[in-house]
Amino acid sequence: MISMIGRIGRTTLNGVYALLRVCVLMVDTLNWILVAPLRGRGLRVRSTIEHFVEFGVNSLPIVALICFLMGAIMAMQASYQLERFGATRYIANLVGVAAMRELAPLMTAILLTGRSGSAITAEIGTMRVAEEIDALEVMGLNPTKFLVAPKFLAMILAIPCLTILAMFIMMLGGFALSTVVLHVDPKVYFDQTAGALVMKDLVTGVIKSFFFAVVICWVGVYRGFQVEGGAEGVGKQTTSSVVTSIFLIILVDMAFTILFYFV
Amino acid sequence: MTMNDANDYVIEVRDLVVRYGDRTVLDGINLKVKRGETFVILGGSGCGKSTLLRNLVGLMRPHSGRIFINGRDFTAMSERERIEVRKRMGMCFQGSALFNSMTVGDNVALPLREHTKLEESTIEIMTKIKLELVGLSGFDHYMPAELSGGMRKRAGLARAMAMDPEIIFYDEPSAGLDPIVAAGLDSLIRKMQNTFNLTSVVVTHEMASVGLIGDRVCMLKGGRIIGMGTMDELRASDHPFIQQFFERRPEPEGAENADYLRSITGGD
Repeated sequence: MISMIGRIGRTTLNGVYALLRVCVLMVDTLNWILVAPLRGRGLRVRSTIEHFVEFGVNSLPIVALICFLMGAIMAMQASYQLERFGATRYIANLVGVAAMRELAPLMTAILLTGRSGSAITAEIGTMRVAEEIDALEVMGLNPTKFLVAPKFLAMILAIPCLTILAMFIMMLGGFALSTVVLHVDPKVYFDQTAGALVMKDLVTGVIKSFFFAVVICWVGVYRGFQVEGGAEGVGKQTTSSVVTSIFLIILVDMAFTILFYFV
Repeated sequence: MTMNDANDYVIEVRDLVVRYGDRTVLDGINLKVKRGETFVILGGSGCGKSTLLRNLVGLMRPHSGRIFINGRDFTAMSERERIEVRKRMGMCFQGSALFNSMTVGDNVALPLREHTKLEESTIEIMTKIKLELVGLSGFDHYMPAELSGGMRKRAGLARAMAMDPEIIFYDEPSAGLDPIVAAGLDSLIRKMQNTFNLTSVVVTHEMASVGLIGDRVCMLKGGRIIGMGTMDELRASDHPFIQQFFERRPEPEGAENADYLRSITGGD
């Protein structure tokens, strides 16, 4: 009994410490992004652009393909029910709203977790194992400034951009399938979509995607710095990074969905 | 501490205690490193010598005790002051710790690019000079993965030397190298020493290197210093462990395991 209470206590404490470390990392990163450049201590612009290209531009093909297919799948699934009521034109509303508010931000975030979140963890983890992080510190170079800040900035810029593109590509997928396979009139589909969407759908989707980006980057970085041991540690933390990240994305998604429902 | 003292001793460690959780890894270390000498920290595996080095360069904060670098308390400095001190330090890591995503040349140039406002052309020339110094001229466009272990360590040394440091730390410079390459590295360390009048601190367990590069040696065992002095003084010591270490006698079967078990459990 006592040992169980002890275990619960230790687990809680470890959780609190982890949270504290994440907070310290957050404050440090924000400091290097927002405060330090103003004081002339430099933001690594080049590295940020390189990471933006890697996270954003290079992810675009896969994000586009998957979102296009998701849009088509959604249209197909929706027609299965709507056809019975002769309401196939409402596929446009469903695909449009679902893509904007939910699926485009979520799919982009999950894809980026797998593609870039894991890469961040693996990169930082490998650098830890190879003492490269220590080397940075001994040289008087701050690892947060050097490694974390550019990735973070690139991520919070890249994901909202990708998400907006993903929204439209997803609707394009729905449009393509509806008009080609389900013979919905293109003009009707377009009008339905335009009528269904409001600015709030776009804004809420983009706000969500911004917080997804924060989650992906911070989980990736945090897990990377936690790597211990050798190659095995890198693998373990990378897996854990992806799982934690997807879990937190869903939690954040939930929270914002509730929030936007009432606001 | 008077100015005179600070000039004589580059590094001074006072009553350093380091703990991992409940386990005491370093227990009351006191040592002084004179300006311009090569100081060797010697000891068996797991004696805390790497931990001592990590404390000296500030990668770890000690549990208690102080470390003075050039007479200033390194342990009590703010992060900014530490960066200033670190610009005057170089470190060669055991596995070289070159940044794998950059070319060898960029690795060496990195501290210069980050800490100085030199022209890119000047940095390029300085990088070439540093690489030449360690016998790697012409390798600036290679990636670290394309170099052999010994070459990587040399490149690591070139990077450590980039800012013309006063103090240079070596973590197991000859680990994982064949005797010929290791000897080459030893003579390189000696050469650096003579050419630039550096203060060097070398952590090693390689007896062959010690006599060649070390001016003074301290021997660590179980987190304490059990002997300090020149190589000859240490050889003349009657401490049983030092004798055993110098003669490469193994621990009696069993005793080693019990020791090891005690060292990882922390129990007595």
